[in-house]
Amino acid sequence: MDLISDSLVIGLTEHAPLVLAAMGFALLYRLTGLINVAYSETITLGAYLGMWINTTYDLNFYTILLPAGLLAGLVSVATYFAIFRPAKHRNVGALEMIIISFGLSIVLRHGLQFIFGYPVRFYDVPPPHTIFVLGVGVSSFRLLALGSVLILALLLFWFIQKTTFGLQIRALASDEDLAQVSGIRPLVVTVMIWFLAGVAGGLAGAFYGVGSSVAPLLGWRQFLFILLVVLVGGTKNIGGVIIAGIATGVALTAMTLQFGQVLYAQLALITAFVIILKLRGRRMADTEKV
Amino acid sequence: MNLDWLDAFLVSGLFYVVMVIGLALLLHLQLGLARIANFGIVGFWGIGMYAFGVLFVKVDWPFGEVWAFLISMAFGTVVAGLAGLLVGWLIADLDIDGVLVGTLGFATAVWIVATTEQDLTGGALGMGGLGFPYDIGSVKANETLWLVILTIVVASILYYVSRVHKSPYGRLLISIGDNQPLARSLGKASFRSKLWLFAGSSAGMGLLGAMYGVNERFLETANIGIDLTLAVMVGLVLGSTTQVWGAVVGVALTVGLFDIVIQFYLPLPREWYTQAIPVLREMVFGAVLIIVLLFRPYGVLGDMRRDKLMRRMHGG
Repeated sequence: MDLISDSLVIGLTEHAPLVLAAMGFALLYRLTGLINVAYSETITLGAYLGMWINTTYDLNFYTILLPAGLLAGLVSVATYFAIFRPAKHRNVGALEMIIISFGLSIVLRHGLQFIFGYPVRFYDVPPPHTIFVLGVGVSSFRLLALGSVLILALLLFWFIQKTTFGLQIRALASDEDLAQVSGIRPLVVTVMIWFLAGVAGGLAGAFYGVGSSVAPLLGWRQFLFILLVVLVGGTKNIGGVIIAGIATGVALTAMTLQFGQVLYAQLALITAFVIILKLRGRRMADTEKV
Repeated sequence: MNLDWLDAFLVSGLFYVVMVIGLALLLHLQLGLARIANFGIVGFWGIGMYAFGVLFVKVDWPFGEVWAFLISMAFGTVVAGLAGLLVGWLIADLDIDGVLVGTLGFATAVWIVATTEQDLTGGALGMGGLGFPYDIGSVKANETLWLVILTIVVASILYYVSRVHKSPYGRLLISIGDNQPLARSLGKASFRSKLWLFAGSSAGMGLLGAMYGVNERFLETANIGIDLTLAVMVGLVLGSTTQVWGAVVGVALTVGLFDIVIQFYLPLPREWYTQAIPVLREMVFGAVLIIVLLFRPYGVLGDMRRDKLMRRMHGG
């Protein structure tokens, strides 16, 4: 019983940023069909920006979330205009698009190292309060991350399912030509998607950063799990991503507590996910993409 | 043998360049012909390196060191090939997304095992005890001979790849890469062909990993990061993914330029070499990938192989 409650509480709070990051990635993937490897650097960027605003302007962590998220969103849009839009206009293939995003990921990662320096950086925040949930001590930052994910997930779900803009996004995802004929401006919708994905990634990065440290590989270390969560859980809708993300976090924690080694837990999860993808392989090729 | 004229750093720089050329040639078979985007090159390379190292160092061999060395080398190659067979089976009928996950996941798995299995691999601290299977005098002489052996191995890979290009098997791989459902509908064994290609080329990557381990004499988990995959990929993409010599030209222009010309011959401030130059190198490599794929997708050498093939087929 202890293992279940510990896994639930620690898994939900510790891996909440994974769900947030996966939601942003899923939005981009589902609606543009692009596996954007550089999304990992949006997460790293959010962590660095948050740390920089926090330490330079002496602002508390809660205040820096908004500018960090917005700036990460703007950089995400900038990469779309600078690289992915021209690539689409040049009819670059899907495989080459992935390699381009891999190249962009490397440029951004090392560019961040140049700008922010080589040593590992930390947020300047007071020690978090410890709050006990089901007998398990959790830091206030992690509870905030969980709360933020819940709120953002609901907002995103409402935005996609209930607003006119969300309807346009779904229309564009289903049939780009038909959407254009219907008067939907694809550029505006696409820019909004890139921005929202960037904001989600940036916020996830800030939460990752404040929970541990800020380093150039922060986003890359999460990328495989984000990708797995989205491919396994997100082929139908954003709700699947949230469920897969939560299940991943809880499973990782449970296996870590059981094995006493987080890397073994990661290994077991990677293996399980790849087997799931293998079993669903043929269906994956038929998922609708723009 | 007097090797005073030869710079020891140049030998180690050349070793890395030749090894990356070998890996890029093998990636050319996977990516250039069969269109399998292997993002886990370093995983197959790393599993070969560690399988060789563990067997060679940890086993108390009852016979001579040369035999132990050769058996361990073969073991590293076979283990990488078997890993290629397993990963290939998982990804051969998946779309690009699945291939990315499978290969990247495998590379991560190798890193995890190398890091956690400290009794076998030494973990993050690393594992020593490796060495050359001969002793012809100085360290530099041993390293130079090992470089010559590696060059022969890579030249053999180059010869094999050029033969594949001219063979029906090569044309089968190209047809699978261009349109797998069509190839399958024409009765071609697309899954099996991709699987064996992937297993064989992964075994080659493992052999190169084992050879690198010998040259380094010390295995570290820091070696099995994404940097190697990037170096191989950028070299191949810059040269040409579709041409035999693309890997050679591309790697010479990227890794050769940075790891030999800039590292050894440019009079840059000493402190730049520890942090600034490696970071700049990666940034330039990343930028090259983007620019080439945007403006010259078939690389420096273009797509002449296919043009020639088409001309021959249509009598042009």
